[in-house]
Amino acid sequence: MEIDLSPLVENWRYLARGLWMTLTLSFWTMVAATILGTAVALGRIYGPRWFRPILTFYVDSTRSIPVLVVLVWTFFAFPVAFGITLPPYWAALIALTLHITAYIAEIVRAGLTSIRPGQTRAALALGMSRLQLIRVVLLPQAFVRVLPPFGSQLAITVKNSAIASVIAVPEYLHSTATLAAQTYRPIELYTTALILFFVIIFPITRTVDSVYRRLAHLGRS
Amino acid sequence: MNLDWTVIWDHRGAFVAGVVNTVLLTVLTMLVSIPGGIAVMLLRVSRWRVLRAIGLAYVEFFRNIPLILLVYWVFYVLPVMVEVFLPPFATGLLALSLIISAYNAETFRAGVNSIRQGQVDAALALGMSYAQVMRIVVLPQAVRRVLPIFASTWVSLFKDTSLVSVIAVDELAYSALQVRAQTFRILEVLTAMAVIYWCLGYPQAKLVDWLHRKFGVQE
Amino acid sequence: MNRIAGETRRKGADRPPVVVYEDVVKRYGAFKALDGVSAQVHAGEVVCLIGPSGSGKSTLLRCTNALETIHGGRILFDGAPLPTRESETRRVRRRMGMVFQNFELFPHMTALDNVASGPMTVLGRPRQEARDRAMALLAKVGLQDKAASHPGMLSGGQQQRVAIARALAMDPEVMLFDEPTSALDPETVGEVLNVMTALAEEGMTMVVVTHEMSFARRVGHWTIVFDRGRVVEQGPPEQIFNSPQEERTRDFLGHIGWGQ
Repeated sequence: MEIDLSPLVENWRYLARGLWMTLTLSFWTMVAATILGTAVALGRIYGPRWFRPILTFYVDSTRSIPVLVVLVWTFFAFPVAFGITLPPYWAALIALTLHITAYIAEIVRAGLTSIRPGQTRAALALGMSRLQLIRVVLLPQAFVRVLPPFGSQLAITVKNSAIASVIAVPEYLHSTATLAAQTYRPIELYTTALILFFVIIFPITRTVDSVYRRLAHLGRS
Repeated sequence: MNLDWTVIWDHRGAFVAGVVNTVLLTVLTMLVSIPGGIAVMLLRVSRWRVLRAIGLAYVEFFRNIPLILLVYWVFYVLPVMVEVFLPPFATGLLALSLIISAYNAETFRAGVNSIRQGQVDAALALGMSYAQVMRIVVLPQAVRRVLPIFASTWVSLFKDTSLVSVIAVDELAYSALQVRAQTFRILEVLTAMAVIYWCLGYPQAKLVDWLHRKFGVQE
Repeated sequence: MNRIAGETRRKGADRPPVVVYEDVVKRYGAFKALDGVSAQVHAGEVVCLIGPSGSGKSTLLRCTNALETIHGGRILFDGAPLPTRESETRRVRRRMGMVFQNFELFPHMTALDNVASGPMTVLGRPRQEARDRAMALLAKVGLQDKAASHPGMLSGGQQQRVAIARALAMDPEVMLFDEPTSALDPETVGEVLNVMTALAEEGMTMVVVTHEMSFARRVGHWTIVFDRGRVVEQGPPEQIFNSPQEERTRDFLGHIGWGQ
């Protein structure tokens, strides 16, 4: 088995574009999911009574369906149902966001409910409104508390971005697979992909954990 | 948009076979990954530094790569590297097992570590043998600690089996996509696939929640 | 039955009372936490609520600033019953300051920002003005060099003093203390009591739930004894501690070792 790195070297720009796509897809998914997930968590705790079961149903259902299924449905079935074609990138962004939002919502909800009730009393005693209580006192503490599971979700998002390759999103795995089929050199290409993804994902949880260790006292009431 | 849901019923055989294979794949992976996880865990807690390093490297590597990429790697690279040709089902099983063993290793390690040394000391001081300490004090508590996490891993695995569809293993996702290709009823087939996964996954997710409530450790 | 002695000689009795409790009833399900409590708090008075655990003292305090709702009777603040609408309740709460047993400082803010959090968030004061005022208040409780510290780095006594400064930042008309020293190490109890004593000497109206009988006796102007949701006896500390009229008062004081 000889190793020939030439397909990597010759096509590095193509692969680099794939890598960039992986990173941007993961980043924007995480941004959207954090915002939406926090909103869902707040909705489940403070929202109108009739609305909460709907959110709960959404969260529980998302945990029951594989990401692949959501991706494929969003890309293939959504256009048939609603008449709007989604380009692969947007279908992937929407599908991945919908999926991860549910997990973020659970994480944030757990973070908020873990805060001592005394904090709420102290803020209300000062005369703060509910909105101010959530914005100024509860959410900052909750975000610090849930940094470790949040870091895990970030790592999972990058892993999930690779699944978008099945709907032809030109992220890194898709680029690798395309190139491997063309050059007949799967070993070098797939092994590089494996190492590359590890190099990206491994530091994520480590970094978030070390940031958490330094900030943990900000969430301890 | 005219919908024809009868194709689902017409092709129910394919869906059922897909479900069977999904369950089979999940069960077999777990059967391999429990001893696999124990083996890696033993590496992690071994007395020799080299073994501990190997265990740590294994766990960190397989928990930080995308499963779908590993599936492709095992499918395309392994046969060329070691000249062993596995059928797709076995390939999928191997890729899944490698990763799930890594997660199980950490779960078991957390379970073992959750028993405070003081508990073991107290039991030994009462005159119990080490085997008795394991059986009466350590394992019951470790199992309680491990069960909710293990159940979560199981549900994740169940969903992850869908990824081996990319190498044409005819579990549920692949079977459904085949039906879609044959009937061109995209919306109906894909929705049915989602609904079937939901019907299987939702009770499992609720069971995991219940286990967390019953056995979960309050930090 | 309430035995009210020396009522007309009470501090601040020449003006209308700041807080009036009229037959206050509060239930948790079937359990009556407050069973017809009547009392008054006058301007500049330090009123101490004492009694066994679970007798309703803290509950009454939390009802005073509407953190808890009452089921019977009335609570009057500055002559008016406590409002029911959330927005009006907030306005009443701004006029009262509360100090909690567990300090409840906001862990993600520095001591300075904690003290400034009320004026900035609730009163909408500009940041620099709020911070300058906060610094002055921290100096008043002796913690100006801890302004940049987070609560996690402060001792219990220091945290409680910051909490007092935080409540004072709102310029309250009355300060409510809910067992302010119960969670403190004995060494740090003194520093908090000193701050509270200085506050009392400045003429702040205070309602204090406490187990520190020496404080109630030395600094308090009026003592109310609770048991099982009712006022057993109330009067000047000299009466309550030296010559209690009620059997249950004597039992309680004897039980906690207040010997004569």
